[in-house]
Amino acid sequence: MNPFFVILKKELRAVAQERTILIAITIQLFIASFSSAILIGLMSFYDPEAIGLSTRISVRTGIVGATNNPLVGFLEEQNAQLTSFATLQEAQLAFDAGQIDAAILIPPERAAEDDPTVEMQLVLPASETYSTVILMVLQGPLKEYETYLRKRNGIQIRYTDVAGKPATTYEFQYGVILPLLMFFPAFIAGSMVVDSISEELVNRTMDTLWVAPLSLNTILGSKIAAAVLLAGAQAALWAALLRFNSIPIQNLGLVLLLSVLSAAIIAIGSAFIAVYLKDRERSQFLYSIFVLLSASLSYLFDLSPIALVTRLATGDYYTGPAEVALYAGLLAVLMGAFFTTAEKLIAVPS
Amino acid sequence: MKTILIIAQREITRLRSRFRGSSRPVVALALVGVSLVAYLTFRQGAMRGRGLYRVGLPPAADLAIQDSRFATIAIPLPTGRSLLEAGALDAYVDTAAARIIHRQDDRSLYAANALKLYLEKQELARLEQEYHPDAAFPLRVQVNHFPVDPQAEAEEILIPSLMTPPLPFAQVVTISLYLLPVFFVSVFFTSGLMDEKIDRRITVLMSAPVTPFQIIAGKMLPYIGFALLSVVGLTLILQGSVLLALAIFLPVILFIFSIYLMVPLVYRTFKDTTFISMLATTIITSYLVFPAMFSGLNDLSHISPLTLAVKMYRDEPFTLKEYLTSTASMYLVFAFATYIGTRILNEEYLTRFRPLYRKVSDAIYLALDRSRPHLSILLLSACLIPIVYMIQLVTLAVSLNLPIRLAIGALLIASVLIEEVAKSVGIVTLIENGDATRGREILPLSFLSALGFLVGEKLLLYVSVSIVSETMLSAALFNVGMLWIPLLAHIIFTTMVCLLTHWWGIRRYLYALLIGSAVHVVYNLFVLGVIG
Repeated sequence: MNPFFVILKKELRAVAQERTILIAITIQLFIASFSSAILIGLMSFYDPEAIGLSTRISVRTGIVGATNNPLVGFLEEQNAQLTSFATLQEAQLAFDAGQIDAAILIPPERAAEDDPTVEMQLVLPASETYSTVILMVLQGPLKEYETYLRKRNGIQIRYTDVAGKPATTYEFQYGVILPLLMFFPAFIAGSMVVDSISEELVNRTMDTLWVAPLSLNTILGSKIAAAVLLAGAQAALWAALLRFNSIPIQNLGLVLLLSVLSAAIIAIGSAFIAVYLKDRERSQFLYSIFVLLSASLSYLFDLSPIALVTRLATGDYYTGPAEVALYAGLLAVLMGAFFTTAEKLIAVPS
Repeated sequence: MKTILIIAQREITRLRSRFRGSSRPVVALALVGVSLVAYLTFRQGAMRGRGLYRVGLPPAADLAIQDSRFATIAIPLPTGRSLLEAGALDAYVDTAAARIIHRQDDRSLYAANALKLYLEKQELARLEQEYHPDAAFPLRVQVNHFPVDPQAEAEEILIPSLMTPPLPFAQVVTISLYLLPVFFVSVFFTSGLMDEKIDRRITVLMSAPVTPFQIIAGKMLPYIGFALLSVVGLTLILQGSVLLALAIFLPVILFIFSIYLMVPLVYRTFKDTTFISMLATTIITSYLVFPAMFSGLNDLSHISPLTLAVKMYRDEPFTLKEYLTSTASMYLVFAFATYIGTRILNEEYLTRFRPLYRKVSDAIYLALDRSRPHLSILLLSACLIPIVYMIQLVTLAVSLNLPIRLAIGALLIASVLIEEVAKSVGIVTLIENGDATRGREILPLSFLSALGFLVGEKLLLYVSVSIVSETMLSAALFNVGMLWIPLLAHIIFTTMVCLLTHWWGIRRYLYALLIGSAVHVVYNLFVLGVIG
């Protein structure tokens, strides 16, 4: 068999035997599920509509004072269960008996000319968790009432009557989760290449391999290829899982291609580092800095792989093979540079 | 102490020799580069999909959309409409009529909603500038809490449209920066230990009159020092209280290093080390960051010290008890890991190449004091609890991928399995190594293991939840009449697993574990009222 494939097979077998790939997959699954738990949970506080929270929770609200106030109508639209009380003390008794969750004290309405502002009192339970959720649900009707009062003062707030669909989950799935799952395998690939090369160098097995009728480029190339192959397989696995979770990916071929290209670019970059520095410690350190650098950089550019994957997967009209080809070009240049200089680099003591 | 300092000194010299010569400028350049770019990215704020939406604007619109989610194109309305119909645009902002034009498919509706939220904010800013605050923000809501006190002043006054959620999202992200330098130097710490292993210098070092503890402390000291310095530096930049920050982050740093201590001691190959470190980094980060996201919202957020840091930057006080709640387990894990480290720091253990689970069970066996098996087992069970909680947190997060009913079931089974492993693993290693050969010896050990676990569990639960409502909870938790039932149950499950392993042989530990866990699951279902 071609020596290239022999080493490639050896690398893949090692990964399978050491169960490292299982750890790697666990990490990714964990990061993806944890970040969705965090972000979906948190974003729902910024955009309660997103998870339909405001319509699902019915807050039992006590109204003290003017029940003909427009706010009462807004509250009813929000599914709040309203009970009216004559005094705050009565509301307190009802709260103690577990009949209401919150109380609003509404003052009698005054003409806008006298005083443009309205002051209300909202009484919430002492528990922080509880009162936060109630406040979140009541925020909608209160805002509507505020808009009503503004109108009364002759002030119009624009762009409020748009009937869109809450986009938090959509943005998160395509802007965070998908890029994460498509590029984390690439990050792992680079780490693998660093380990694999530096292990051979530290244990001096690279020399032995090199003595055999193998060129250095064959050895390094097969190690890089093994890592990229694994990255590709993981990306394909994640794509399949996303589809299974009914998150469709447009331009799937291009998305996967871009993921594989990034893995190859990162793997070659990390091979550069490992061949130059020759030990795991410094190589991993420099590599992690390099990854942080490229990840931060890709947030700043429109053509970055992260932005491209998001746009490809959501079926953007203006994004297609041309943008992906750019990375194929970059990879070709890097490969050329690496395989012409590797032998010289490995000879440099550092 | 002198020996520790000498070893620390040697570690610094080792590290410095690494970055001599041509690699120094490369690393320096990379560090400068990354700080610069990271700063620029950080200033950009939260990112959710760059250029996700294509939005059309009239050519002369006085509206600039400064949100990287929207890629804008200036075109007149009629062209905008046809592009919208062709799917080349997701939404069009008709500034003249103050409306957003969109299609009825999902993508366009999402774009419209995202635009609406963005433009609403712009509108509020405009109102603030153009009108008197009383007219622009006419509704003031005074917030009070039950029980009502008629004399009390309003606790806070809210303006509904300017209300922001009480979540410390941005603060937690900033505070997570504290973790970054620790994770970065950890690679040097693990490498320092690995080098000794590879070159077999550890053998030489161990034959010198130094204790394993001195070696570990000496190797750790420079990195802890660096991590503490970075805490001071960052706190000065963020203008917090340095002393308070040190008190909060010292346990965090110790905790992180104690986990990184375990990695190279147990590792087999470079790849193992990398991936296990990666896994550790992920789990530690989520364990610290996730609860802190809910500070001020849920009292359970106090299990993470980052919550204290959030409070510090919000100028809110925290009590000694709150400090202990979040940091006690960190100090404990550190003490536990350092102890295990000193026990397994011997040549035979470090150089033997065995599967990962074997290495772990060997480590546990070495950690036990065989002359005092009862005390060892009791303490082991109690010490494993923070680790059990962490693994359960991981399973919780992963199980959320499943449909909710399935997730709860899987979680129930997984947590029982983890608990049963934690309680039986010490005894099983004793059985395996011939230190407990008779059923009569196994019974008291199972009892103590279950006791240690239960007491530890209740204690941790008590400390972490008691902030919520002290009296009620402690009454419920420490009601002696109720407590002996779970204790008895725990004893039965652990005894089952251990005795079955004893009878069937160590190779069938897995089956024994499954049977014990199955009974435990049935018991849990019974307690939860699902069956019976």
